[in-house]
Amino acid sequence: MTPPITRVLVANRGEIAVRIIRACHAEGLEAVAVYSDADRHAPFVALADHAVRLGPAPSAESYLRIDAILAAAKDMGAQAIHPGYGFLSERAPFARAIEEAGLIFVGPPSSAIEAMGDKTAARRLMQAAGVPIVPGAVQPLSDPAEAVEVAQRIGYPVLVKAAAGGGGKGMRVVHDPADLAAAVTSASSEALKSFGDGSVYLERFVERPRHVEIQVLADHQRTVHVGERECSVQRRHQKVVEEAPSVAVDAALRERMGAAAVAAAQAVGYRGAGTCEFLLADTGEFFFLEMNTRIQVEHPVTELVYGVDLVREQLRIAQGLPMTLPHGPLVPNGWAIECRITSEDSANGLLPSSGVIRALTVPEGEGIRWDSGVVEGSEVTLFYDSMLAKLIVHAADRPAAIARMREALDELLIVGVATNVAFQRRLLAHPDFISGAIDIQFLDRHPELLSTSDTAAIPIEVALAAVLLEEEHRQARRNAGEAHAARPSRWGTALE
Amino acid sequence: MTWFVTVNDRTLEVTRDGDAFVVDGVRVPATLVRTPGRAELRLTLDGRAVVLGLDGHSPSGWRVMHQGLLHEVRVEDERTRELRSRAPVPKGAGGPVQLKAPMPGLVVRIAVREGEQVQAGAGLVVLEAMKMENELKAPRAGVVQGIRVNPGQTVEKGAVLLQLGDV
Repeated sequence: MTPPITRVLVANRGEIAVRIIRACHAEGLEAVAVYSDADRHAPFVALADHAVRLGPAPSAESYLRIDAILAAAKDMGAQAIHPGYGFLSERAPFARAIEEAGLIFVGPPSSAIEAMGDKTAARRLMQAAGVPIVPGAVQPLSDPAEAVEVAQRIGYPVLVKAAAGGGGKGMRVVHDPADLAAAVTSASSEALKSFGDGSVYLERFVERPRHVEIQVLADHQRTVHVGERECSVQRRHQKVVEEAPSVAVDAALRERMGAAAVAAAQAVGYRGAGTCEFLLADTGEFFFLEMNTRIQVEHPVTELVYGVDLVREQLRIAQGLPMTLPHGPLVPNGWAIECRITSEDSANGLLPSSGVIRALTVPEGEGIRWDSGVVEGSEVTLFYDSMLAKLIVHAADRPAAIARMREALDELLIVGVATNVAFQRRLLAHPDFISGAIDIQFLDRHPELLSTSDTAAIPIEVALAAVLLEEEHRQARRNAGEAHAARPSRWGTALE
Repeated sequence: MTWFVTVNDRTLEVTRDGDAFVVDGVRVPATLVRTPGRAELRLTLDGRAVVLGLDGHSPSGWRVMHQGLLHEVRVEDERTRELRSRAPVPKGAGGPVQLKAPMPGLVVRIAVREGEQVQAGAGLVVLEAMKMENELKAPRAGVVQGIRVNPGQTVEKGAVLLQLGDV
């Protein structure tokens, strides 16, 4: 019998660390933060009851150090470790090390991570469990020459995928056989760098599918699904906007996909919160992609429409308690949308930016949720991924949720670091997004959304604000007894 | 008093009229409230409240944040505008083009060699930032001339990576 949990170490950073620490407090548990030098002053460190330094800024020397995290848990007397998402969350050796240290991993058993982590083995396992999968090879390629033959058999277009992948890294789509060798080589090199394993495999690329995923939750008695999330709006295989429910899923399809996800989870002895990702074709066919054996970035949209707190449920299940979800099928209440707010420059092709957040005004009001890892004064570095926060809205239906999100994006002000906010505004105003005609190639078809229009007129708000600033500035100089109105540039640093 | 408001190549004329401004023949009452030292601007425009950000300013003007985009806004009166228009204009760009890092990052690969001829759009350098590889392409056809960086090197935004000379 495991000892009761009173203290949880949160092995993550940013918004998800904040989210988990809050859930710990709501469950009456203490939270221990671990941090790198770059995050010394981060909000999650201040929010935790205790904090332990892991090491220098690079992830490999801090958030990826299993030994340092385990030592921190022991030193601080934490009985459980929550991995969040990313970093070590889906590394079976991490979960196993925690299990072997007599601590509780807030997540599935290491064996389930292992079973789902090897994408090739997982496909075979899913096939055996009766979960539909995309046609393709189940073996990793032994060399690029073999790829040509395998691709021929599966049929173009083919998708080159990292066997140990996730988050879109080590993925390439190949339409033309002539490009295959180069794609295999570059995907393999990216996979080797990201995951330490360069093996890749091929599968059929289903054209214009939606990315629809099913949330599952499993305690010691039952495994249930908590509906779908529509995550089709993606850029370079990274999700940008997520919603729940999906315009493409009715109650009957939800039950079919839900049953497949539950079967997938049961096939690996799953516990806790997890997500089965599916490709949904316009024919209504769906294919299992992979299972994310952790909490997802986009979990809040599910929480809002089903009135559940998934992180608290994770903590309950880790303590051996039953989940609080009611029995029987769940019905989504209204519509929720999440926009990922990242430090990617809307005016510069969404390239990463860095800097200090000099001002942050967060939208407020009914149906608006802001899950954030930053505050005014936070420094945004290039050491970690670019997500600053998530803006989530909930409303009665999809049009109302879109309207609410657009208002919320208008209200959101971030100064000091270039962000993707303007890109999100353009996206939410796009007729295809508004009509729900989205699939995973939506952004590829609309590259114009990635850049600002050069022909745009000067917004009157901008022009008048600048004129008023200039007038105020010149008045200030006159008051200061200056002989001549000078150019604002000489005065500018005084603003800092 | 008339102000000339310029963003990039566009100029808008704004004329002060009591507590309002006239823009394109329309009179718009406008006031601005801000707390000194704070980057948030509260603009009231014809009774409508708008929040903008001020990110200091650069030689090209006030750096105003609006709806997620940064605008560098030059505000001039007739006299300063006149003075600037008489200043010598730098000569049009010609000769070699520099490929600069659009963001800070790690040089992963250099896909070309010194002296190699490339077409516009050819991949030149792969730069990694935030764990994503970004391929930087040739802005025009040319001959690769001075590769200034090596794989494994970290570069700042704006760092010159290589030059493209005329074919």
